[in-house]
Amino acid sequence: MCPSIGWAQAPREEIEKTAQHLATLLNVGRFVVDRNQTLINDPRIGDKGFTPEVFEHQVVDEFVHQTTIDLKHLPSHLPTLAKELLPVLLQSSKEVVGDAQFVINQRGIGFKNFVPATFASQAARKFSNRSYVKIKQTTLKPRNLKNTPDAYEESVLKRLATQPVSDTSIIEWVDNKTTLRALTPIYYSKDCLVCHGNPKGILDISGYPREGAQEGDLAGAISIQIPAKTP
Amino acid sequence: MALYNRSSILNSMIAGEPIIRVQLMIRWLRNRLKDDGSERIVPFLIAIALGFSMQGCGLVFDAVELVHPLQRDELSAICSRGQLRVGISVEPFRPFVFPAVYTDEGVRVTGLDVELIREVGDALTAYCGGQNPIVPTLQLTRFRDLFIEMNEGHLDLFVSSIGGNIPGARPVGLWYSIPYFHHGGLGAMIQQPEVAERVRAQFQQQTGSPDTLAAIQAGFSGLTVAAQKGRTSHLYAEANLKNIRLLICDSLPAAVETKDPSIDVILTNYSILDYVTKHVWPDWRLLTRNDGKPLILTQEHFSIVTAEEKRRLQWFLNNLLYRLEESGRLEQMRRRWLEETYAPTRRATTEGLPFEVSKVPEHYDQGQCRLAAER
Repeated sequence: MCPSIGWAQAPREEIEKTAQHLATLLNVGRFVVDRNQTLINDPRIGDKGFTPEVFEHQVVDEFVHQTTIDLKHLPSHLPTLAKELLPVLLQSSKEVVGDAQFVINQRGIGFKNFVPATFASQAARKFSNRSYVKIKQTTLKPRNLKNTPDAYEESVLKRLATQPVSDTSIIEWVDNKTTLRALTPIYYSKDCLVCHGNPKGILDISGYPREGAQEGDLAGAISIQIPAKTP
Repeated sequence: MALYNRSSILNSMIAGEPIIRVQLMIRWLRNRLKDDGSERIVPFLIAIALGFSMQGCGLVFDAVELVHPLQRDELSAICSRGQLRVGISVEPFRPFVFPAVYTDEGVRVTGLDVELIREVGDALTAYCGGQNPIVPTLQLTRFRDLFIEMNEGHLDLFVSSIGGNIPGARPVGLWYSIPYFHHGGLGAMIQQPEVAERVRAQFQQQTGSPDTLAAIQAGFSGLTVAAQKGRTSHLYAEANLKNIRLLICDSLPAAVETKDPSIDVILTNYSILDYVTKHVWPDWRLLTRNDGKPLILTQEHFSIVTAEEKRRLQWFLNNLLYRLEESGRLEQMRRRWLEETYAPTRRATTEGLPFEVSKVPEHYDQGQCRLAAER
């Protein structure tokens, strides 16, 4: 169990960069789960070999690919806060894959609902319980009510929905500049549309009505809150 | 004659406030001295003396319990533990137990049996005073191991669509509740329509009132029939179907997956077959009577299982099940899981229960089938 992470007061730019790195890491975890979805859902194989270590290895590789940052040897120029928090999120994500091993390795069962969204919900929750930073996935049409946006998130999501596709996070300081809020948009890819596409309203494999989304539509966002200093 | 029962006094000591605890211990010792003689009380005196010289008496009471195991009232034990240890079969029996899935809340298992476990947990919470919830702690384990876990005292009860009225199904030392599910019974599913025609031909040849057993015995003669090990289907086939090739399978999915030898008939509970032929294995169909009604080989009632000596828990369960039956709650549960259209994954997210991941078999494998020994 990792200890709670705290800090006195980091420079604003460092906190902003940290938020971006955290969002990227959670997104990379989602990406790795998505990339292994066929394997995870294969009912013919028992032990899938998708262990926490394998997951971690793939995440580390993908994170380097996307950011040039090696999570196993964090560069000295990285903000101190990011150096503290990235390993915690990586560890939380690994633990989620560990917790799901029994489900993943069931033979004879196809869809197990271990998908990017359920993975990231748990990883974000585990991480948030261990730090002063809060991460969650949110969307304007949440399937899980715990992902319902707050007023701030709702307004940003509405703004993002009308803008062209962009990888740029919306980062703002709120509450008299005491809290950083960052929303990193997630867009529907082709794979997502199996469950979230058309025909709208018809139940998908997990029992939720399809949203009727198109490729490139805004799916939601990774929302991060970081206080300027510890409470 | 002792004024106080040892187990109840020790329970009170363990659970009570410190001062009350000391008073109770003095009373209990006084009675022990009267009844048992001084020699036998020496270990207790030493243990308790040590207890007062040490911080925290828990270890001492554990030691006392090792010397003289306490005959705890099982309901009080559940209340003080705050947990109901429930065994559940890792082999899925949809819609009673669905395969475990991952949800936004973590790993969950759901089904009619799981909803029943929730009811038992809620009733125990009320029984224990309602201050703290009694949390059902599920232990997913292989069907055959449920009985071992129960006998070794690791479970308070288990619920896994277990037939309570089948000859040979009740191992010594276990107790079966009144039924929580008594619809349908043992059924059969087939792939080849010829099998149905063979059985129906047998019914047509019969004169007078129908004789299902005779029709099944003749209709299944020479066929390969699969049953799940230790379940009603296995016991029924062994006892009643002599001229078949019997395959004993570790699970229902294993029976469906087996290709060599080719299986003609799979036996299991009719309600389970009804669900899986509609939702999971549409290549299989239910074996029905000539008029299309369900063909039930024998009646089967599902029961909750606990240990033979847990009398108070047994009455608690029977009274609860009777109340659920009276109120229509069991019927409502049956309709929810057997008749409504729903997605199990979604129900797992909203109402499923977590289980102890550390205690499940490392990789659940649905197992395989093997030919039964010559009978």
